[in-house]
Order: sequence, then C-alpha cells, then structure tokens
Amino acid sequence: MRTIIHDLDESYDSLFKSKNENVIRADGKYAPCQGCFGCWTKQPAQCYMKDKLQMVCRMIGKADELVIITDNYYGAYSPSVKNVLDRSIGVSTPFSTYRGKQMHHTLRYGKKKKLAVYAYGSMTEDESKTFRYMVERNAINYGFQEFEFHYLENLNRLEEMEL
Amino acid sequence: MKIVFINGSPKKKLSVSSYLLGIVRLLVRGKVVSEQVRNAGDHERVLKSIKDADTVVFGMPLYVDGVPSHMLVFMKAMEKFCMDNNISLKVYAVSNGGFIEGCQNRPLMQVLENFCKRCNFQWCGGVGIGGGVMLNVMRIMFLVYTGLFILNTVTSGLTAALPIFAEQLVVVLFFSLGAFFYCLRMGIAVNKGATCGVKFTRILLPSFLFILAADIFFVIISIFQGGIFKGWLSQKE
Ligand SMILES: Cc1cc2nc3c(=O)[nH]c(=O)nc-3n(C[C@H](O)[C@H](O)[C@H](O)COP(=O)(O)O)c2cc1C
Repeated sequence: MRTIIHDLDESYDSLFKSKNENVIRADGKYAPCQGCFGCWTKQPAQCYMKDKLQMVCRMIGKADELVIITDNYYGAYSPSVKNVLDRSIGVSTPFSTYRGKQMHHTLRYGKKKKLAVYAYGSMTEDESKTFRYMVERNAINYGFQEFEFHYLENLNRLEEMEL
Repeated sequence: MKIVFINGSPKKKLSVSSYLLGIVRLLVRGKVVSEQVRNAGDHERVLKSIKDADTVVFGMPLYVDGVPSHMLVFMKAMEKFCMDNNISLKVYAVSNGGFIEGCQNRPLMQVLENFCKRCNFQWCGGVGIGGGVMLNVMRIMFLVYTGLFILNTVTSGLTAALPIFAEQLVVVLFFSLGAFFYCLRMGIAVNKGATCGVKFTRILLPSFLFILAADIFFVIISIFQGGIFKGWLSQKE
C-alpha cells in the first residue's frame, strides 16, 4: 500500500486521489504535537487531539511505500508536512531497539519498503544535502528499507510521474 | 548586550529544553530574556523581544530527526521579521532527543545552520544531546534527594544525612556531566560572542542499559496511564 503526504493545493490533491487511496493533504488545519507521548502510553496509536490527524499514524504505519511532496524549509519539510510526521509517532511503539546501529523504537507495523521524498521551492546546495540526510535518517527511524530524495524544479513534473 | 533564550518545547512545564537553557544561562551575563514558542500565538511577543537583541539561543526537542513543526513556522516568521527590520543576530542552539546518541541531533543542527544562512545571521554553534528524557529524570531525582536530605538532616542530623546525600548527588550528576559541560561551555561562548562549534553529547550510560531503563520507564508510565491495557503494541486498524 502506498500513502502520499503532500502540501499542494486541491487540484494536485484530486490528481493524487484519482490514482491512490491514501492521500493526506497537509493543509495545516490541525494542531502541532504537544509532546505528551499519550499515543504510546495512554491511547496507543491515537492522539488525544480530536482533529483530522488523530489517527493519522495508522495510515502512515500501514504504508509500505510513503511518498512525501513538500515545500523546502531550510533543508527540512514544510511545517504542515512536518506537523503530520510529528503527530504520527504512533507508527512505532514505546519499546526501544537498535536499527542502523543506533537506538530507535520498535515498529508497530513492521518494516516497510520505501520512503520517497520530493521537495520543491528554492533550495541551496547545503539545504539539499541536509534534506537528503534527513530523509535517510527518517527512513531508518520509520523502518523503511530504501529511501529516495528528489528535488522538483517544476511541479508540472508531478503530472508525468507515476504517482 | 541582550540575549534572548527561546524555548521551542511545546511542554508547559518540565521540558528538558527549558532545563538545558537554564544551564546555559547560568554563566551568561547581560540582559537576558527567556521566551517560549508553543504556537503562533507566541510569535508576536517573541519577535518583539528579538527586535533589539544581539543574540538568540534556541532550545528545542528533536522531533522525527528534525525541528518540531511549530518551530519551523516560527523560524519562517522570524526570517521575514528580521529581514524587514534589518536585524542581524548571533544564533546558538541546544537540542535534545530521546534516543541516546547525541549525533542523532545532527540534521536538526544543519537545518538551524541553513536557517542562519538564509537570514544572514551568524551561526555560532550548538549542542545536541542524547537521552534527554533521562536528564529530566535526573533533575527530578535531584529534587527528591534534596528533599530527603533536608528531612534526614532534621530527623538524624547533618553528619548522618550528608554522606548519603553526597553519594546520591554524585550518581545523579555523573550521568549529566557531558550535557552540563557543553551547555556551560556554550554559555561562556555566548558571553564572548564567540563560536563554539556543533558538539554532540549524551547521558553517560552504555546504550544497552539506557534502552533497558527507557523500556522500564515507558512500562511504568503506560501502566499508570492505562495504555498497556489497550493493545499497547498491537497494530491498530
Ligand atoms: C513527536 C515526537 C517525535 C520525536 N522524535 C524523536 C527523534 O526522532 N529522535 C529522538 O532522539 N527523540 C525524539 N523524540 C523525543 C524527544 O526529543 C524527547 O522526549 C525530548 O526530551 C523532549 O524535549 P522537551 O522536554 O524539551 O520537549 C520525539 C518526541 C516527540 C513527541
């Protein structure tokens, strides 16, 4: 199963939805994570905040392929996309293990195939390096076996892509 | 010289970030202001505070290998505000993650450096700390031990209470030494307006023991909060 997270407008949303079941439009109309860990310790895989991200970790957790399309913020995801990721730590459990020789949490939904990130907007060379590194780290953190990072010079390319 | 400390943890109290900023602050002289950014409602106040500042010290938690989303929103607003008002700043940062390896904070530090470049700020360096939650536990233990020490002194006298307290103190402080050292070192650099590089440190405990402690910690919290009885590790549909 593939899940797409994107911060683009309605027209792209419809485009992705015409070919994919699980599309999360990161429109920023939700609250940021409050850092309480309740989605681990109180109501597993569920946030206490009742907005559209309350169960989002389940949709992300079940994806073997996660595609993220995001504006570039200093070599990181846009805040609305990052908000979705921050609110989805329920994809893992509170138990810890080693992955990539470092400490991480065990995965509620097991290992997954691929994390592919497409970033757009102006991007310096340093930001591009940071972004690639961040995606590599995220892939380990979320348990993806492979990762890809691409810079999208032109959003029109999305229409030609197999998304 | 005005130095603004910006705590980027969303937690109202007992955030590790505020604790770490507190340690950096110990050695910082000049006009010091402490702010917290929890959501967009805080932006106006904090930006006003930055307006006549020379230095900003960020403190924030590591979220999913990077800067928490609400802080990215703030940084964008800060970029615009500082460009519009021609503000140039020196920027330092201390971040902490739950995982034991301090170097897991590296992408976050790079993002902050990129941010400084975009804003024409001087990136003066940061400290990335692993095992943040345990730092907090140590801080709480310190308070508990201090309380017990006072109680003990009253009931059995200082000579009996002091050796026990000293021993407890050494244990509690030892684990946090790396964090203390680099935070204090950053405080000194802030005073001089000097760069201090990007350093990573951690709770001084072997990682397998730390993982064991973290697992026990989450089991206890999950018993109290009830999550353990609600399909704690199961795959939710
Ligand atoms: C949404 C979320 C994501 C997190 N992601 C990471 C992570 O990727 N790596 C890590 O080491 N810790 C991670 N943590 C743990 C926090 O960084 C840690 O609990 C920290 O001590 C919180 O600091 P604070 O008390 O200042 O908010 C995450 C916590 C939350 C709530």
